Amino acid sequence: MIPDLVPSLLAWRPFIDPLDAHGTWYLLLLPLVFFISMVWKAVRLPSLESYWRQVLLMTAQGIVGMVALALTSYLLVQVYVRIASGG
Amino acid sequence: MTQPQQPHHEPTRLSIPALVLAWLLPGAGHFFLGQVRRGVLIGVGVLSLFFSGLFVGGIDVVDSGLVVSNTFRKVTGQTATRQVTPDGDAIWFVGQAFTGPVAFVVDIVHQHRFKVIDPAEPRVLRSARPDEGRDPVTGMAVIGGTPPVTKSLARVNEIGTLFCTLAGLLNLIAMIDAGWNHRPRRGEPGYAGGAT
Repeated sequence: MIPDLVPSLLAWRPFIDPLDAHGTWYLLLLPLVFFISMVWKAVRLPSLESYWRQVLLMTAQGIVGMVALALTSYLLVQVYVRIASGG
Repeated sequence: MTQPQQPHHEPTRLSIPALVLAWLLPGAGHFFLGQVRRGVLIGVGVLSLFFSGLFVGGIDVVDSGLVVSNTFRKVTGQTATRQVTPDGDAIWFVGQAFTGPVAFVVDIVHQHRFKVIDPAEPRVLRSARPDEGRDPVTGMAVIGGTPPVTKSLARVNEIGTLFCTLAGLLNLIAMIDAGWNHRPRRGEPGYAGGAT
């Protein structure tokens, strides 16, 4: 596995070529939610005293929300549609 | 009976310099108003989001599809009234543009350094195909070379584009907040220093 990766890593130029993260793309949602929370809370909070706690809370809420949506979609497609179609 | 205390808000006032600075450099608008910590956090958040998008999806995720005619003429020696970039993502670039000049610089570099001119139709500037290279002098596609950039595809492209576009849209919110700010500014009563 590692020898297969070496040529592509040697050719990869950060910020120019895309990252080979096709199998782990869902992990990229974590920094996405974190940075969104960082900017949103910096704009919205009247005081920045509890800033990082609020950022972590919003990040956790975002992740839980996305997992819940994914589970709902999974159940809808894999269970409900199958039952409804008589399969 | 005592009324519950309402939080004190200063009236909202327009600050055009803060609005412009917030676009030029994310967080600079708040910095200008004396809200140093807030400005730094906004700047770090927006720019981290934008550059994370480039890191994930490559330069291909910032693609306005717009080409500056003068540069096209300089590279090709040809005059064209309108260039066509069939694989541009103009609608996403509308959001990315709010990140500031950094988005335009990345887009210009992408258009003029990493795209190729179609030899069959010089009006068309497009991404190189896997079997094509780029002539560094003319910018023309050359069959048999290596593409100047790997095309970003599928979820990696979608997530990279999303990162960069959300960076711009969040900076739009920060620009509005800096432009029409109600928090006490430097030198005003109630100003709590750069920590605000």
